[in-house]
Amino acid sequence: MRLKLISCEIFYREMCHAVASSPNLIDIEFLPKGLHDIGSAPMLQRVQQTLDKVDESLYDAVIFGYGLCNNGLTGLRARTIPVVLPRAHDCITLFLGNKERYLDYFNSHLGTYFKTSGWIERGEASGELSQLSIQRQIGMDKSYDELVAKYGEDNAQYLYETLYGYKNYSQLTYIEMGIEPGDIFEQRTINEAAEKGWGYEKIQGDMSLIQRLVDGYWDEREFLIVKPGQYVNTTFGADIIRADQIEVVNRPK
Amino acid sequence: MEDLKQLYDAIVEGNANKAKSLTTDALAAGMDPQDILNKYMIPAMDEVGRLFEINEYFVPELLISARAMKSALAILKPRLTATGAKPIGKVAIGTVKGDLHDIGKNLVAAMLEGGGFEIIDLGVDVTPEKFVNAVREKGANIIALSALLTTTMPSMKTTVEGLKEAGVRRQVKVIIGGAPVTQKYADEIGADGYSDNASSAVALARRLVNEPK
Repeated sequence: MRLKLISCEIFYREMCHAVASSPNLIDIEFLPKGLHDIGSAPMLQRVQQTLDKVDESLYDAVIFGYGLCNNGLTGLRARTIPVVLPRAHDCITLFLGNKERYLDYFNSHLGTYFKTSGWIERGEASGELSQLSIQRQIGMDKSYDELVAKYGEDNAQYLYETLYGYKNYSQLTYIEMGIEPGDIFEQRTINEAAEKGWGYEKIQGDMSLIQRLVDGYWDEREFLIVKPGQYVNTTFGADIIRADQIEVVNRPK
Repeated sequence: MEDLKQLYDAIVEGNANKAKSLTTDALAAGMDPQDILNKYMIPAMDEVGRLFEINEYFVPELLISARAMKSALAILKPRLTATGAKPIGKVAIGTVKGDLHDIGKNLVAAMLEGGGFEIIDLGVDVTPEKFVNAVREKGANIIALSALLTTTMPSMKTTVEGLKEAGVRRQVKVIIGGAPVTQKYADEIGADGYSDNASSAVALARRLVNEPK
């Protein structure tokens, strides 16, 4: 098969690795992680624009290196060829290999931030997207000094404690995918956990879901195939997403 | 009698210390606590909500105004209780089971308190049973649920189901909110209302407590 892969850059190393060993011919287009910070409707708009620009005559399907990503992909429309997405709330399912493992870990380790090579190298939004972030729009992007200047010392301290930091979080978990060059990312996570005074755990990731995505083994329990004329919708259940028919409005002639 | 326009201003400007001292002075001067609340404090928070809705105020301004309101209310409360005054409603609020993100929840709680509601803050990662207990034991008549992740949104559904199973669903109105939450989802799980921001949550809660059961 010839496939187009549109992926969040958070999977940069994993997707390159999986594509390199795939029997399929795959063109990759990475989109910035900062799309996650601008709100679901603007994110969808940009992801859809990227899909709309694909010359679909060249491919059998467009595959997505995304989860539902806080509804940033809810509403995505397939055009002339199928669109394939993993059934995942977010990227951690793709790093851990399946959604059930993620849910188990999530529920038994509340208050955990995950780190991977991508989250360490590309976790911060930059450039234009950081200017558009929701945090900035609602006034939650200010430094302590800026808060003092604007609201006075007493209020600044209160706002800083209320709005910032990682309240209620207490652990960093490093997911090692087995494709990293040595332990540089692991060491950075260990250092960050120590600086924050948080717990640290390293777990083994699982490349198999990402590999099945690029290899074309799209079992419907793990992937959603959105056919032409359909769009991605949320189920709010264990299967996470479904394909719904785009309703065509019949206009009077 | 001194005009308490200054208290109104202190809350709108988010000056907690000034709001506290003005409230203390007003009580010492013999002003009716119910009047202080209804004529100055609640209207001040309504104005804050209006400024937020026209994008003049943002989240930090809402928070510091709510903080000023709460500081003044803390002084007023013992006196209000003594007069037998009742809040317009009792809201049990929390982030649903599995969710630890409470900035939005705290903001909504502060705005509702500023709007004249009594708040039972159940904190984060709240099980359906705790919400049920808040209805049974504390007399909550509104349940407010918050979730930041699509991963934890299903806990909103299980909470509504938990209220039904416990036989208390009809005693309360359920309102929901949080970044990924929508009106459509509220309809789907049988919640009574949805709000996409802390300010309109107050209007929603006021409307619901006035609805016949």
